[in-house]
Amino acid sequence: MRRALLLALLAAALAFPAAVTLPFPRHVLIMIFLYGSLAVAWNILAGYCGQISLGHAAFFGVGAYTSTLLVARAGLSPWVGMAAGAALAVLFSQAIAFPVFRLRGHYFAIATIAVGEIVQTLVINWDWAGGARGVFVPIKRPDSLWNFQFHESKALYYYVALGLLLLGLGVTRWLERSRHGYYFRAVREDQDAAASLGVNVAREKHRAIAVSAALTALGGTFYAQYIFFIDPESVLPLSLSILICLVAVLGGVGTLWGPVVGAAVLVPLSEYTRVWLGGTGKALDLVIYGALIMLISVLQPAGLVGLARHLRRGTRA
Amino acid sequence: MSRLLAIVLALTLAVPALAAAQPREVVLGVVYPMSGPAAQAGVDNKAVFEIAAELANGTADLPFPFYQRLKGMPGLKGAKVRLIFADHQGKPDVGQAEAERLITQEKVTALVGSWHSAVTATMSQVAERHGVPFMNPESSSPGLTRRGFKWFFRTSPHDEHFTQVMFDFFRDFEKKRGVKLKTLGITYEDTLFGADSGKVMRELAKKHGYEVVLDIQYRAKSTSLQSEVQRLKGANPDVWMPTSYQTDAILFTRTMKELDYNPKMIMTQDAGHISPDFIAAAGKDAEGTMSRAPFSTDLIGKRPVAQALNALYSKRAGKDLYDFPARAFTGMMTLLDAINRAGSTAPAAIQKALIATSIPGDQLIMTWDGIKFDETGQNTLVKGIILQLLGGKYHTVYPFDVATRDVLYPVPAWKDRK
Amino acid sequence: MEIVNFAHGEFLMVAMYVAFFAWALAGLDPLLALPLAVAALAALGWATYHGLIRWVLGGPMLAQIFATFGLAVFLRAGAQFLWGVDFRVVQDPWLGGRVALGPVFVGLPQLAASAAALVAFLGLWRFLARTETGVALQATAQDRQAAALMGIDTDRMYALGWALGSACVGVAGALLAMYFYVFPDVGGTFALIAYVTVALGGFGNVPATLVAGVVVGLVEVFAGLLLAPAIKYAVVFLLYLAVVLARPQGLFGRW
Repeated sequence: MRRALLLALLAAALAFPAAVTLPFPRHVLIMIFLYGSLAVAWNILAGYCGQISLGHAAFFGVGAYTSTLLVARAGLSPWVGMAAGAALAVLFSQAIAFPVFRLRGHYFAIATIAVGEIVQTLVINWDWAGGARGVFVPIKRPDSLWNFQFHESKALYYYVALGLLLLGLGVTRWLERSRHGYYFRAVREDQDAAASLGVNVAREKHRAIAVSAALTALGGTFYAQYIFFIDPESVLPLSLSILICLVAVLGGVGTLWGPVVGAAVLVPLSEYTRVWLGGTGKALDLVIYGALIMLISVLQPAGLVGLARHLRRGTRA
Repeated sequence: MSRLLAIVLALTLAVPALAAAQPREVVLGVVYPMSGPAAQAGVDNKAVFEIAAELANGTADLPFPFYQRLKGMPGLKGAKVRLIFADHQGKPDVGQAEAERLITQEKVTALVGSWHSAVTATMSQVAERHGVPFMNPESSSPGLTRRGFKWFFRTSPHDEHFTQVMFDFFRDFEKKRGVKLKTLGITYEDTLFGADSGKVMRELAKKHGYEVVLDIQYRAKSTSLQSEVQRLKGANPDVWMPTSYQTDAILFTRTMKELDYNPKMIMTQDAGHISPDFIAAAGKDAEGTMSRAPFSTDLIGKRPVAQALNALYSKRAGKDLYDFPARAFTGMMTLLDAINRAGSTAPAAIQKALIATSIPGDQLIMTWDGIKFDETGQNTLVKGIILQLLGGKYHTVYPFDVATRDVLYPVPAWKDRK
Repeated sequence: MEIVNFAHGEFLMVAMYVAFFAWALAGLDPLLALPLAVAALAALGWATYHGLIRWVLGGPMLAQIFATFGLAVFLRAGAQFLWGVDFRVVQDPWLGGRVALGPVFVGLPQLAASAAALVAFLGLWRFLARTETGVALQATAQDRQAAALMGIDTDRMYALGWALGSACVGVAGALLAMYFYVFPDVGGTFALIAYVTVALGGFGNVPATLVAGVVVGLVEVFAGLLLAPAIKYAVVFLLYLAVVLARPQGLFGRW
């Protein structure tokens, strides 16, 4: 039954661009897939391995900047840039993992904020990388997959974004079932107990952050090729890190589908409250957005997936 | 989850269906920051845009030939102008999404926006892609008209124009007063606006032979600017040239007072230093601050057109016309005039009409020579003026032939003020 | 209590608005409005606990982040909705201008703010260490279940903790309103530095926060002066990372 539902959902997702040709709804879905995949990536480190990172935008930015600079300055294909971005993000994650993983709880969270802020400040003051003025992705016509630019229609962006999300979900699923998935969860539940049982805690954490960073960086490259402009304010800010975390939390941290559900609710919510109420200058849409977030967090702290499980358990009993 | 999807789909399809049922009208998409730190620009501009639409629809009146010509939009047989306002929240990706939504779902005839240069960049890209005219009344990054776009039009001067006026002023002022200005200290905030401004200042300083003794890019919205002002004090330039938005401008002024920094001349890059907020919050202490501007409130009395508009604007917005809404109005009216002359809502016709725009300076509320676009879409008849904050209000001090007051130099030291 | 309040900056903003409106509507100098701001914020903190935090205590740490983040967005947007985006500034506060301490000029409002902050801190410390309620509060923070076993009403203690913390923010807001501009987004930058400062000093240790505050302030100014103003905050963050590398619970942290 569950499998049938998932297959139907996948079929609907694949068919959507054929059914709906207006760009805005496609854009909303692309954003759902993008934020969903970022939250899925974050979930691997935070949900499964228990390390709450509030600086994930740094990996996103590394991905975006690496590919964009390679495209703009060296004329390489964005796919090459994407791979380079992911590789750099992994290296970067390992570098910060050494000092930062010794910390626990809030100290760790604030350390991740600190890293994110340092990276943002660095890029703002790095003229070669565009500094505060950002970098434009050079427009190349006609549309081409090799150049990863589509101007006529969003359909291919849609499928790439969906692909990224499915990739993230696939990796998560594989990890869930693998040996490492169990190690991750052991580290999350009780780091010391896991260590005493012979789990190499440091290595597992490093592994988790490497995977998480790589997947996040892929999203960064996608964003750059979709918006054609990146600057520190749009790809490296603390607010983005918080948003990624929120999406996963809303849906249900540590579950496979949680981040997707979270994105499917938060993205349309923020897009449509802005569209319907944003033009007034009274920030009414943000008032509603904030109130809804509070309401949802109070009603079901374990996220929407937790809510679904709760309801299902209720009906079964 | 799939049910949610269905609801989303239904809603997004319902909106255009409703829109299609309306009578003949000209729909324009107006995208500005309506929330966040720059929201004042959006809110104040909204008021003036509404007046512009009313002028076009004939429900408001400005008794001057240019505005009478498009009253009621005769070229379109009386089609009504309708504005759709949207909030880009200062984010380039949101601006892009809004531009796309307005073009493809609301079927707007043209877009107007968007204050932030970075957001204007992404939004105008969308417009270019769809072949929809994009009117930019105020973003000042020079690069915007250097992308080879065919659908992008900017009525206002950009950073290079503005900064050139500053250096023209230095040259003429030195001659007039027999003062020698040799060193400059430039501070700029770390977003596109500040970085662009800093770059232009550096280049022009070199070109005109001034020495930049201090060059600081600082963190926007800092909670303290002590170190920045300390450095200024140490470098002691002849002219301090800050580029800041409102919050930093206010903090700079207060910090200067605390640390007893007494620059002889302060030449700012508009934005924060021009805004009414800044004047209200720090006006007394900011005596002597100068700024480049395209428009000055004190010239309202000297320009009948501006005076007439201000009568309408001040009633609606509760404040006098100033730089931001003045530029916004000029841009919007230029667009409305082009649509009227085109006699149709077809994009190509409007583009042609825009290219052919020729509005004489005396019909504008601005002190420009008029509006005429070059092949990059930039208005070439712009003129900047220099204002100085005197007695809590900005007065025009340059060019000397339109000045309403003399330049106060040097700016009085803190110990000499009451 | 192991909860990080992501709406802390917005609490500050509310306090500043209270002080501003006390001045704008009743002509009260921010120093006079201080008790008003304290009371208002204590009420806000208490209400936030009972209305929001209590319901997410049982959930994962993230739901708490989530709840207070929603509160932050709500307060910020609510302020814009109610009071608009214009910047408000208190004109001619009682404590204006500057004072010369030898060759150094110090802003009088800042001096007063520092003095008042010290007084507030000492008051808080004394309360926590010397009074019965204060000790009970600390006990609840250390071990909720043990405290409950000892007959302490932990729910009331938590509410009190929130009210006290928010009251301190009220002090800060009223003082800040003397020389800083007020607008809906003003809380953001302050809150970030505040989090790092507390973590640097060490959670659960109030005097440590004072020390950390002084350190952060000095580092910020000197980094701006000697290195470059653009990176002064980054230096503070680097300092934090350097410190916790050597001491994972901050300088004097208890947990």
